[in-house]
Amino acid sequence: MKTAVVRFPGSNCDLDVFHVLKDVLKLEADLVWHRDFAGEEYDSVVLPGGFSYGDYLRAGTIAAHSPAMEQVRVMAKEGKPVIGICNGFQILIESGLLPGALLRNECLAFVCKWVKVRVETSDTVFTRAIQKGAVLDMPIAHAEGRYVNDPEGLKELDENGQVVFRYVNNQSVPSEDSNPNGSMDCVAGICNEDRNVVGLMPHPERASEPILSPFSNSDGLRILAALRG
Amino acid sequence: MPIFTVEVIIENKKMARDPEGETIARELVSRGGFSEVKSIRAGKYLRLHVQATDSEEAERIVNKMSNTLRLFNPVVHNCTIRVRGETE
Amino acid sequence: MNIPRLEATRLKVNLTFDELIEARKRLGREPNEVELGMIDVMWSEHCSYKSSRRLLQKLPKSGKRVIVGPGYDSGVVDIGDGDVIAFKIESHNHPSAIEPYNGAATGIGGIIRDILCMNCRPIGLLDSLRFGSLDSGHSRWLFNNVVRGIADYGNCTGIPTVSGEIEFDESFETNCIVNVACIGQGRAETLTLGRMDNPGDIIVLVGGATGRDGVHGVTFASRVITEESELDRPAVQIGDPFTKKLVIEATLEALRTGKVTAVKDLGGGGLTCALSEMSSKGGTGVQVDLEKIHVREEGMSPYELLLSESQERILFTVAPEGEEVFKILRKWGLAYSVIGKVTASGRIVAKFRGEVVVDIPSELLTNSPIPRRIARRPKTTREKRAKAQSMSDLSQALCNLLSMPNIACKEYVYRQYDHEVGVRTILKPGDADAAVLRVIGADKAVAVKVDCNSSYCFLDPYNGHALAVAEAARNVVATGAVPIAMTDCCNFGNPEKPEVYWQFKEAIDGMGYMLRGLNIPCVGGNVSFYNEDERTGRAVKPSTAIVMLGLIERLNLVTSMALKRAGESIVLIGKTFRELGGSQYSRLTGNQHSNPPRAVASRERSSIRAVIEAIRGGYVTAAHDCSEGGLAVALAEMAIKGNLGLTVDLGAIPHKASMKPDEVLFSESSARFILTTTEEHAGKLLSLVRGRGVAAAKIGEVSTLDFKVVTENETLICCPIERLRNAWQTAIPELVKVN
Repeated sequence: MKTAVVRFPGSNCDLDVFHVLKDVLKLEADLVWHRDFAGEEYDSVVLPGGFSYGDYLRAGTIAAHSPAMEQVRVMAKEGKPVIGICNGFQILIESGLLPGALLRNECLAFVCKWVKVRVETSDTVFTRAIQKGAVLDMPIAHAEGRYVNDPEGLKELDENGQVVFRYVNNQSVPSEDSNPNGSMDCVAGICNEDRNVVGLMPHPERASEPILSPFSNSDGLRILAALRG
Repeated sequence: MPIFTVEVIIENKKMARDPEGETIARELVSRGGFSEVKSIRAGKYLRLHVQATDSEEAERIVNKMSNTLRLFNPVVHNCTIRVRGETE
Repeated sequence: MNIPRLEATRLKVNLTFDELIEARKRLGREPNEVELGMIDVMWSEHCSYKSSRRLLQKLPKSGKRVIVGPGYDSGVVDIGDGDVIAFKIESHNHPSAIEPYNGAATGIGGIIRDILCMNCRPIGLLDSLRFGSLDSGHSRWLFNNVVRGIADYGNCTGIPTVSGEIEFDESFETNCIVNVACIGQGRAETLTLGRMDNPGDIIVLVGGATGRDGVHGVTFASRVITEESELDRPAVQIGDPFTKKLVIEATLEALRTGKVTAVKDLGGGGLTCALSEMSSKGGTGVQVDLEKIHVREEGMSPYELLLSESQERILFTVAPEGEEVFKILRKWGLAYSVIGKVTASGRIVAKFRGEVVVDIPSELLTNSPIPRRIARRPKTTREKRAKAQSMSDLSQALCNLLSMPNIACKEYVYRQYDHEVGVRTILKPGDADAAVLRVIGADKAVAVKVDCNSSYCFLDPYNGHALAVAEAARNVVATGAVPIAMTDCCNFGNPEKPEVYWQFKEAIDGMGYMLRGLNIPCVGGNVSFYNEDERTGRAVKPSTAIVMLGLIERLNLVTSMALKRAGESIVLIGKTFRELGGSQYSRLTGNQHSNPPRAVASRERSSIRAVIEAIRGGYVTAAHDCSEGGLAVALAEMAIKGNLGLTVDLGAIPHKASMKPDEVLFSESSARFILTTTEEHAGKLLSLVRGRGVAAAKIGEVSTLDFKVVTENETLICCPIERLRNAWQTAIPELVKVN
C-alpha cells in the first residue's frame, strides 16, 4: 500500500500527515506536489489541511480546480481510499466528491480546540476497525467548518449511514454545546455512497501520538491506520 | 417615509494590494481559460434598506454610519456608497 | 563646508545638520538625491539603532550554546545533537495603532522572514500585546483587530501561535504595543547568515513585485504627486499570508539545494537595507541594475526602487549556475528577478538606464554616527499614599482579581489561533507558564514564553526590567526547562527626551543585572522608540517584552500547572514579602502601595536551580510561577486547570508576622514557585530545596472539594472551583461583548 499526501499551494498540514504516516505508522508514503500527482501510482490519497490558495473566494474552491483533483476523482471511482482533512474536506466538497457545503463558523471566528467526535458508522474504509459509537478526542482548527446541506440531502445522508462523525459532549451525545461551529446535526465528517471517500473537519494527524493529546491517547491514529490497507 | 436601497462597497485602496482578488484572477480565472478577464478586485458588499426623506438623506445617513462605526478603515480602504433608489 | 543643497534636491530628509555633514565627509563628495535618500533611511532610528546601539552592548551575549548572537536577523542557539533554535521578536506598534488588522498581520510576516533567513523552519509564534482599558471602544477595536490580524496571518502560514501575553493599561490607549516573536528550528551545519561572502554570486529578488509602498515624504520633480494619488495609497500595507506561505516553502526548498548562499528579508529600508547590511557584513559590495526589478507600478524612479518597502519580498544570493534554484521558485509560482551580483568593491553600485545612479560604500550606510543622548531621572511627583485598605471578603477579592483583564483567562484570544499545527505543541496555551514544543524525532523539547509587566517597569525601570527577565525565566523553568537564551523587544517613548532615555538606560542595566545573575545570554533584540501620543506627547509605560527560551532535556520532565490528584502536597518555594506596589491587588483596591517586588538575582537563581533539580528528581507533579495576583491567584489557576480543590494554611506560608492575610495572599514577591508533589516525595522535595538555601514550606493539600485558605481558627477563603472558574473565564468575553 502506498499513500500520496497531496500538497497544494497553501497546504500546511502536509508535513504533519506525512510525519504520522512515515514515522508513526511506518507506511510507504510520498509528499506529492499537486501538479505532479499521478493517481495510478498510489493505492490511497490524503488531502491535508491548510489554506490552499489562501482560502480565497471560498475555502477549497480554487484547489478543487487543480488537475490533481481529476486524479483523485479517478481514484475515488476505482474504490481507493481517499481522505480529506479540514481543508482537504473542503476541497472534496468543492470538487463535488462529497455532498453539502462547509460555511463560515457560526461564531464567525477561527476556532482551535480539542473536541470529542463520535464514530457514527463502522462501514467506511477509514472506520471499519472502530466500533460504532466510539468517541475520539481530536482537535479542530478552522474558520469554515459549519456543515450545511438541504433537509432532504441531510436526511438522505443520515439514512444511508454517510454521516461518519458527529461532535458530542462529555456524555457522548450530540448537543448544542458540543457543536463548535454550528454544523447541522453536529456533523463533523461524512463519506460518499461508495464509502471510500471520507472528509472530516477534526485533525486525526494531530491526535496520533499520546504526547500531543491532553488525554494522552492516540485516537486519531485509529482513523489513519486504515491506510495500512 | 420612503425606504431606499443603499449599497456599500468596501475595497482596499487602489494602490494597495489585494491578495484575494489577485489570487482568484491568477489561479482560478486565468488558469480556467478566461483570459479576457484582465484583473479582479475583491471587496465587501453590503446592501442596506434605509428610511429617509429623500435619496440624499439616505446617502448622508449611510455615510455617517460607515464613518462612525468604522465599517471601513480609511487608512487602507475605500468605501463607495450608492443609493439604488426606493425599495418596492 | 557646505551642507548638501536640500532645496535643489527637493527631498525631505530627517537627517540632522551634523549627520549631513558627516555623510558628506565620509563620502568625500556631496551625495546625490538617491544616495541621500538611502543614507537618510539607513541612519534612521529604525535601521541604525543609533540611540540604543551603545547601551545594548552592555547586555551579556555569550554563552556555550550561542551560535549566532546579536546583529543578525535572529539569534541562534544550540539545543544539542546538531539541532538549533533561531528566535527573534519585533515590534509593529505604529502600523497597528492606525490599522490594527493589517498592521499586526504584516508584523507576523516580517518576523517569519527573520527566522527563514537563517535556514530554519518557523515552528512557533508568540505575541506580546498591550492595549488601553477594554472599557474603551477604541481599545476594543484595536484589540479585536490585532488578534484577528495575528490569527488570520499565522493560521494561514501554518505556524502555530503557541503563547503570548496581554496587558491592559491606560497608557496604551492610543499607542498599543504589538510585539511578535517567532521561533524556528534548523540544523547547525546548514545555517545561513544574511551576508554576502562570495564575490561573483548572483543577487536575486524573490516574491512580491515592488511598488511604491512605504516611500513617503518624497517629492521629485520627475513625479508629480497629486493629492488624489496619495489618497489611493494605503498608509499601512496589506498582509498576504498566502504568498508568505509560498515564500517559506520555496525558500526552505531552495536552501536545500546548497546553491543559495544567503537569504535576507526585505523590511524597513527595503532593498537598500538588505544590500548594504549583507555586503557590509561580508566585507563585499554589490553591483545591481535597478531596471531588472520586477515591479507592480509604472515609472518607478531609482530612489523608489531602492527604498520601497513592499511586502513579501526576500533577497537571495545564489552561486553561479543556480538554475535549480530558479526552477524551485517557478514551481511555487513565485516571481523573481536577477538584479545583479556580489562584488569585492565594498560599495553599493546601482545602475539605472545604463547610468550609475548610486556609488556609495556599504559600510557608510550601515555604520551611522551615534548621536549624543542625555539621560535624566524624571522628577517623581510622589503620589499621596492613601492608607492601605484591606478587603474583608477575601473570597470576593480573589474572584475580583481573577476577573481583572490582566489576570483573566485569555482563551477568547488563543481559541482564534491555530496552536496545534506542526504537531509539536505538547503544552498548549493555558496549560502552563510557557509553551512547550517537542523536537520531532528526539527525546527533548523547548519551552518558550514572552513576558513583561509594564507597571513595574514604569515604577522603577531598572527593577521592573530585571523582574521581567526573572519572571520569563521562571515561566520556562516551571515547565521543566533550563533557560538557555533570551531576546527582547524594548518599547519606549521619544529617546531625545532625557527622561525617556533615562528609562531606557535603566531598563538595559536592569536586564543586564538579572541576565548576568542567571547566566542567560541575550542573542538579539529590537527597539521601538517614539511610542507617544502625537497630540498629548504622552509616552507609553516603558515595557520590554522578554522572550525566554528554555531547553527540556527529556520529555518526561515536561510539567504543567494543573493540579493532578487529591491528597498531593502543595509546596511554596521562596519567601513572601509585603510587596504590593504596582500589584494587581493594589489596582483592584485603589491603594497606593509603595513597595513593588524587589528583583534580587541571587534569590532568583537559587529558586530556579532548586526547582530545576526538583523536577529532574521526579518530585514535581505540577508547577506554577507566582506573579500577577500573587499566591492566591496562582493557586486558583492551578485548581481551575486541574478541576480540583485545595486547602492551604496561611500560617504555613513563610512571612513576617506583621503582614495581614490579604498582603500574604496577594503580594507579588518575585522568586517564588508553587509545586505539587506526592505525599511520598514531599519530604525529599523540601529537603532538596532547603538544602539549596531556598525557603520552602508545605502549605497545604490538593482536595476534591472547594478552594480553601484557612488559619488556625478561621476560614479566610472558601470558594467552589466553579465560582473561581466563572470569574476567570467569563471576564474577557463579557468585556469584548461576545457570548
